[in-house]
Amino acid sequence: MSADDIVEIFRRVLETDDITADSDFFLLGGDSLLGTRVLSAVARTRGVELSFEDLLDAPTPDALAKKIAGVTR
Amino acid sequence: MADLIGILTRMSRKRPDEPAISHNGRELSYAQLLLQVRATATRLGPSPGVVAVLTDRSPATVVAMLGVLAAGGTYCPVDPAFPAARQRALLESAGCTTVIAARPGASVPEGTEGVLRVLAAGPDAGAEGGPADGGPAIGSGPADGGPATGSGPVDGGPDDAASVDPGSPAYTLFTSGSTGAPKPVLTPRRAIDASVASLRELFGLASTDRVLQFASLNWDTCFEEILPALTAGATLVFHDEAYTGSLSRLLKTVADERITLLDLPTAFWHELVRHLAEDGAALPDSVRTVVIGGEAVGAARLADWRALDTGQIRLINTYGCTETTLITHAVDLHGPKAPDEAARWGTDGGRVPIGTPLPHVLDDIGDDGELLVSGPALALGYRNLPEVTAERFLTREGPDGPERWFRTGDRVGRRPDGLLDHQGRLDAEIKVRGIRVDPAEVEAHLTAYPSVGAAAVVGTQTAGRTTMAAYLVAGYDHASDTLARDVLAYLHETVPNHLVPHRVTVVPELVYTASGKIDRAATHHRHAPAAAQPRPRN
Repeated sequence: MSADDIVEIFRRVLETDDITADSDFFLLGGDSLLGTRVLSAVARTRGVELSFEDLLDAPTPDALAKKIAGVTR
Repeated sequence: MADLIGILTRMSRKRPDEPAISHNGRELSYAQLLLQVRATATRLGPSPGVVAVLTDRSPATVVAMLGVLAAGGTYCPVDPAFPAARQRALLESAGCTTVIAARPGASVPEGTEGVLRVLAAGPDAGAEGGPADGGPAIGSGPADGGPATGSGPVDGGPDDAASVDPGSPAYTLFTSGSTGAPKPVLTPRRAIDASVASLRELFGLASTDRVLQFASLNWDTCFEEILPALTAGATLVFHDEAYTGSLSRLLKTVADERITLLDLPTAFWHELVRHLAEDGAALPDSVRTVVIGGEAVGAARLADWRALDTGQIRLINTYGCTETTLITHAVDLHGPKAPDEAARWGTDGGRVPIGTPLPHVLDDIGDDGELLVSGPALALGYRNLPEVTAERFLTREGPDGPERWFRTGDRVGRRPDGLLDHQGRLDAEIKVRGIRVDPAEVEAHLTAYPSVGAAAVVGTQTAGRTTMAAYLVAGYDHASDTLARDVLAYLHETVPNHLVPHRVTVVPELVYTASGKIDRAATHHRHAPAAAQPRPRN
């Protein structure tokens, strides 16, 4: 799953187009409730069950893509 | 009415070896639970006053909570993840004299060492040693550790709480206060006794039930999960996999642990329904009841729920305030106990009802449609705040003399079928992920930051849930391109997450009313488009 895929997920969940690979989910209004949507979307497309802690730890599309790559490798 | 500790004591005689609590699969029997509760009460000593518990998502918090009640004290949960300044403010305003560290390694906030008596928690207290920051652990925990062996009924001993005045405070929790200081609500023992009895009945709890502990242990919703379950002989289930924020991991835990009752904040339930609908999945078939509450039920999510395979699951919508103790109103929205007409609720543009009063509750509708609540479940008031208490708790003449009533601040309407509809707030209070927030409190924290001249905070609907938007006017000395970021960083360090706005926008000016008050709605209306612009970057 590339950073671009996650940019798309962030755009859909946060309902804004102003997302790039280094946009911080939480600084753009994301919270634990919207976080569940990101986690569900990742689980659905990649079968990877991340936790909210993972998102806190890697809050940008770029960082999250690296985290997912680390889990699936 | 039987008190909680009395019921728990009888339960442990009747079902000594049955599981009271399960934690990641490890079980604590009713006999073991009572033993630990009594040991905690003994270490606290009689009438220990207000006892803060630094919560941990584990049975240790439940043992500490019940131990404080059994000793005749007042339980006060404090989130050890809160900023230290906030923890200090909570401990001080509640008048805590003793702290139990339920979280392993949790220390009392800086500045309170030596002021507070510190106890280590629960069964592992001996092994863990005292809390990290040095307050002496008083005594050591009861010997436990091993698996549940067939222990017999616990020996009699005095009925711990039998002599405690039912009008004395059982717990104290905080609601958002307009000055920036939290308001401690004092809830008497009779209120939980009455409320928990009604909730056991409402949920139809039996000893075969397995109730997931899901709500944060720092707010009152967790009592809805814990107390009815443990006084019904059911099993309260903690499992770390339920709290990861991943809905699929939560659902797997519910299935693996054969959970029968789920109590979820409505905002979270909305996300769960979305998730189930997108996957075309159903809830695990062990679930027979889902309780929701905290904000208005979304009609679209309710329609999705009906379309899922949920016909055998009771979906109960609930309403209540901290000041009226847990749930006061409820109604089945779907499932075997819902009335026929429930199928239409929310489909015709109408509201989804909050229901009718529980058996221990009296209600009335006052001026401006304000919901008024009376009965044994009323709080005693706000600690050390007589004026605020007098403003919200009224005395009215009833058939049997004066009655106390609580003004909820919620505007309601009575439908032709007798059910209540929630129609909004009479004040500016908003709900952020189910937690009450007074915008004035957030504004007070924002303007405490030196570079902020003025602030307006409003609740707004974004992406299907309530979010908080803040508008700031900079003071003279600060360039506005980093102010929003700096203020957010400051808030993250000083206040709990639910008081941090989702969006901070620096604007040239706020909008004021003719009388000179900040007009929050008009400020939002004028500046909202700016919130959609890209935020300044470093």
